Amino acid sequence: MLKKKLVGALLASAALAASLGAASAEAPYTIGVSNTVQGNGWREEMICAIKAQALASGKVDKLNIAHRNTDAAGQAEDIRNLISAKVDAIVVNPADPAGIKDALAEATKAGIVVVAVDQAVTEPSAYIISNNQEQYAYLGAKWLFEQMGGKGNVVYMRGAAGASADSDRDRGFKKALAEFPDVKVAQETFTGWQQDQGKQQILDYIATGVPFDGIWTSGIDNVIVDALVESQATLVPVVGADNAGFVGQLQSVEGLKGAAVTNPGSIGGAGVTLALQILEGQKPAEQTVLVEPELWENATDAGKEKLKTAADSSLSPEWPVSISIPNWTTYSKEQIVACKGPGE
Amino acid sequence: MKHHFRRQGWVAGLFALLVALFILTKFIQPNYGAGDLGSLVRAVLPYAFAVAAQTVVVIAGGIDLSVAAMMALTSVTAASMMAGASEEYALLVVPFVLAMGFALGAVNGILIVVSRVPDIVVTLATLFMLQGAALLVLGAPGGGAAEWLKSLVVGTIPLPGLPDSVTAWIPKSLVLLVVLLCIVWIPLNRSKLGLSIYAIGSSELAAFRSGVPVARTKILAYAFAGLFAAMGGLSLTMSTGIGAPIPGPYLLASVAAVVLGGVALGGGKGSLLGPIIAVFVLRLVRTDLTLLAIDPNVTAIVEGSIMVAVVMFGAFITMRSRSS
Repeated sequence: MLKKKLVGALLASAALAASLGAASAEAPYTIGVSNTVQGNGWREEMICAIKAQALASGKVDKLNIAHRNTDAAGQAEDIRNLISAKVDAIVVNPADPAGIKDALAEATKAGIVVVAVDQAVTEPSAYIISNNQEQYAYLGAKWLFEQMGGKGNVVYMRGAAGASADSDRDRGFKKALAEFPDVKVAQETFTGWQQDQGKQQILDYIATGVPFDGIWTSGIDNVIVDALVESQATLVPVVGADNAGFVGQLQSVEGLKGAAVTNPGSIGGAGVTLALQILEGQKPAEQTVLVEPELWENATDAGKEKLKTAADSSLSPEWPVSISIPNWTTYSKEQIVACKGPGE
Repeated sequence: MKHHFRRQGWVAGLFALLVALFILTKFIQPNYGAGDLGSLVRAVLPYAFAVAAQTVVVIAGGIDLSVAAMMALTSVTAASMMAGASEEYALLVVPFVLAMGFALGAVNGILIVVSRVPDIVVTLATLFMLQGAALLVLGAPGGGAAEWLKSLVVGTIPLPGLPDSVTAWIPKSLVLLVVLLCIVWIPLNRSKLGLSIYAIGSSELAAFRSGVPVARTKILAYAFAGLFAAMGGLSLTMSTGIGAPIPGPYLLASVAAVVLGGVALGGGKGSLLGPIIAVFVLRLVRTDLTLLAIDPNVTAIVEGSIMVAVVMFGAFITMRSRSS
């Protein structure tokens, strides 16, 4: 009798556990987010895109965002906390491609869908949705070297040493460089994707008096134009990203030739969409999904027209103007600018 | 006697706070269990060693601003030496890196003693030097770590005679932390050197007049801090499998945990247990804030406020007990 009761209780609890298990894989979902750079315009747009897409999808009832300045060990701590919080999916912008491998593997083992946005990770179970960083650098560098007439000295202002987005871009830059044998890299710096550092570096370089014919930046762009204008240096062609401030400068600064390559921070929203698709059983054909960049330049009329439609002075100057990605994001401009997630 | 009680009282109070936080965590997330405790301890590791380093120096009446930079340098050194090397080679790397930390710490101490420049200035200078050196070793995050070293912080230890349900609550990382801290701290604390460290922290002049070798004690205190920092650096490499040349947020966290742990910043008072419990408290607060999905821009404010509140409350209690 007792045994029967016990078996019955066990079966009931097993059924309960099964139904709970099933319930956790159905909408609405809880999505965890881990980001390790705070106070950077691009990353803020990414976070706002995540919030806006979670809200617009209608399938997310709670976002759990771990967003602080820390290292890979700290990000592993955040990811493990998100595992403890029993989220259904984690959208992560990795501090280091390899340094958080164990934590991501633990998340997958716990049945959590892991989507890395913006940069790749080495953990094979994680999905990756990223802007094609190699192509980003190649497009801009090729255009720049053509503007320089295929010869001269270029200042190469990279991002953060060791970030996978930076090493991918370096490959693209080197690919373009190989096509123009008469272009030389006069100076190579790491801005760390910090406005103040980038500006200091270009001012230091201008002060040396060594002539240069073009500047390629990894997205720290409007302060570089500011520095050229303030120090009355020759306005050489500048390549940057589609940050609102730089896109504005390309249209307003007299004599400035330049090009903006799109690198939407809204990739965070695309990460949410991908995570939701996987949660609902639609797995992508490839583990890595790439979003292709576009180049908007102000040297031709057609290019100027594109810049004009893209420009948006209502955005913060450090925000990329490409605030949405076709087929991947469904929120409105008001929603991303409001930067409110579900339940806020 | 009363002083002794007060000091233990602080640690006991802190421990009660930690227990309360665990109960709160269980309340927020009813599924919080053994695996999550393991995660917590792994997050605690680098902070715990950083705070151990800072504690030794603060008790000796100094402060070490180079802790995080030294962790970065030892971490990248270990990671670059182990990259592509055999598993056995790591057996040499670990003692080498620990010795390196000890030596670098001793250099800090020697500079302070010889130059007579205040600790805060010397260690600020070495902070920049060590940071630069770390970038010379590895320009970008990279390197590797031996598998056996990484596995030291993953999982639990099966203890004979204990059921799995009990050993599940004893993560390897916790055992590693306790063993390493005890191996260094207990002999140090019981030795003449340990007594001298407290003595120079209380009053350098009184210690000198009582025949304590002040210069040697100070140098050794910094050397032991360097040893703990090297352990912290190794724990970073163990938990991430790489070395990162840019120092993490360990300097300010170490000072915060020292204060929260009841160690007087003026020196001469406190023990290691308080700051270590304080590290657990601070990490568990971070876990709770994540579990509660608090606005991330608010979490830093909450963490800081909790720390100030606890320290002020402690000071208030101490004052009350003194006046009564």
